[in-house]
Amino acid sequence: MKGKIRLKDLSRRDRRPLVHLENRDLMPLPPPLDDPAVDPPWAPLADRAREKYECSLDDTCAVNVPQPKSPEEEWELVLKFLSGLQKLFTRENNWTFLQPLLLTMEHCAKCQTCSKACHIFEASGNNELYRPTYRSEVMRRLYFKYVKHGGLLSAWQHGDIHLNWPLVARLIELSYRCNLCRRCAQTCPIGADNGLVAHELRKLFSMEMGIAPREIHDNGSMLQIRVGSSTGMNPTVVKDNIAFIDEDMSERTGIPVETPWDVEGADVLLIHNAGEIMAWPENPGAFALILNAAGIRWTLSSELAGYDAINYGLWYDDAQFARVALSHAEIVRKLKVKKIILGECGHAHKALSVVADRLLTGGLNIPRESSMTLLRDIVMNGRLKLDPGRNNFPVTLHDPCNMVRLMGVVEPQREILRKICPRFREMEPHGVDNYCCCGGSGFAIISGHNVPDWRFHVSGRKKLQQILSAFADCLEPETPKYVCAPCSNCKGQFRDLLAYYDLWEKNRILYGGLAELIVNAMADVKPGYIEWEWR
Amino acid sequence: MGTVVLAGKEFEVDEDGFIQNPELWDEDVAAEIAKREEGIEPMTDDHWKVVRYLRTYYQEFRIAPMIRKLCKETGFQLKKIYELFPSGPAKGACKVAGLPKPTGCV
Repeated sequence: MKGKIRLKDLSRRDRRPLVHLENRDLMPLPPPLDDPAVDPPWAPLADRAREKYECSLDDTCAVNVPQPKSPEEEWELVLKFLSGLQKLFTRENNWTFLQPLLLTMEHCAKCQTCSKACHIFEASGNNELYRPTYRSEVMRRLYFKYVKHGGLLSAWQHGDIHLNWPLVARLIELSYRCNLCRRCAQTCPIGADNGLVAHELRKLFSMEMGIAPREIHDNGSMLQIRVGSSTGMNPTVVKDNIAFIDEDMSERTGIPVETPWDVEGADVLLIHNAGEIMAWPENPGAFALILNAAGIRWTLSSELAGYDAINYGLWYDDAQFARVALSHAEIVRKLKVKKIILGECGHAHKALSVVADRLLTGGLNIPRESSMTLLRDIVMNGRLKLDPGRNNFPVTLHDPCNMVRLMGVVEPQREILRKICPRFREMEPHGVDNYCCCGGSGFAIISGHNVPDWRFHVSGRKKLQQILSAFADCLEPETPKYVCAPCSNCKGQFRDLLAYYDLWEKNRILYGGLAELIVNAMADVKPGYIEWEWR
Repeated sequence: MGTVVLAGKEFEVDEDGFIQNPELWDEDVAAEIAKREEGIEPMTDDHWKVVRYLRTYYQEFRIAPMIRKLCKETGFQLKKIYELFPSGPAKGACKVAGLPKPTGCV
């Protein structure tokens, strides 16, 4: 469906989607996916979803907002939205993000530099709906009209907007069509931040209207607070699983591995994204082996949330964010460990290291460090006996946005790869200019209806192009290839994306973490730690 | 998001076809989910081996097992599990075994 989308279309009362993308509309892909015929067709949105939920944005449904039953119910929701919008612009309700939000509202020069930086806009074939400033411009007009109470002159100056339930309903879905990667914010000459706008909208919907995708709220942060982990693992289960991993590691590597639990006064408290333990145990297993071999005094924690670094609140809800960040800090005090090391999880890095800085003041301001720097120190200081010849296959590095652009941890992981992977090659662009894996901000786990189709075709397209280009000289199936992604969310996304395009079966492109490559190169370990099997 | 009748019993299911009342699950229900959702008919001994392990584990721990544990306990490689359940261990096998949809970054 082509045709110009305008801002006022967002208020349209009919339930027809504003956009319905087809493969032919999208940015072309390089070989072997350059033939549009090999791009799988999209799963259509089921009629029963269309009847029940608000899906009139783009024929996809991430948030499952039920359709209001009456005009009164619609009006009530609009009023809640309006009061939430006003709260976003007051210091007492939004002291954390008010300043950059105001800057973004007041100073956008509409130069569109940001649009060229957005992978979603580009991959969609430059569809107006996904232009980063489309969402921001809606927010800006609402701000001038309903927060600053501008009259006719303001409407003439800033553009008018008609606030009704269809607009709010579409805006809810639209706030979940941005990975919050903030590549647009990095490129903006003024510092306006469209990613922040999507974040603030999500926050308004969650904190003021109780609306958030089930995967990140009910089955995410709420489950973590209640049971200890978003995976549903309670402390008994996680200990049982780690015992299994230790045994499995000892068998596979020939080196006895034992994971220490709840060691008081340890130098390092390691917190993984618990998804690693469930889905990619070779990663926490590799960490245990490396830290033991390097002689580090480390521990895991079996406290509630102490074994799950995730903090989904980062993506959609400040209160949920604070609850989890405080529980992480509390464990450090209780165990009297010297510092927290964050495992291979991008959003947990940013959550606890950067954003929590505003929360963890005084005695709570405990040292937090990335596992990238710790691993770099271990590898570069010669504490392990390494044989890079064991990693003699093409490796490329995916940069998790939260680590590079949003934190500046760029070089440590590269120093390691340059030392232990003789056939390491960069993706272009990389480092702080990287593109999101397309699983960012919860997309990797938001998977109802046909959302995965949108994720593979639109938000994942740019990264897919980058991976294929990085391996353009060795796409043949005889050469196994490794996308190193030091982030659980990114790995989940790559697993689904590579499987969707059959790139493991046809081209032998596998994905995995960084710690696994280190263990694979350790001379004392039985050869073949990385198993060339789909995972 | 809706109800379905499976082996004569009414179930709530989410939009991905996971049953919401696992206590009503039995092997007749499993066979019907397998047929409707995964196109598996009939269930072979290998299918049952996976489903029964998942079920036993779930009854003890109220959560799905690690995929690697599933492979080790059944003796099947992940590839084999995909052959048995085309949607994979989580969206295929767990669904047939009546487990809730896995949560978190998995």
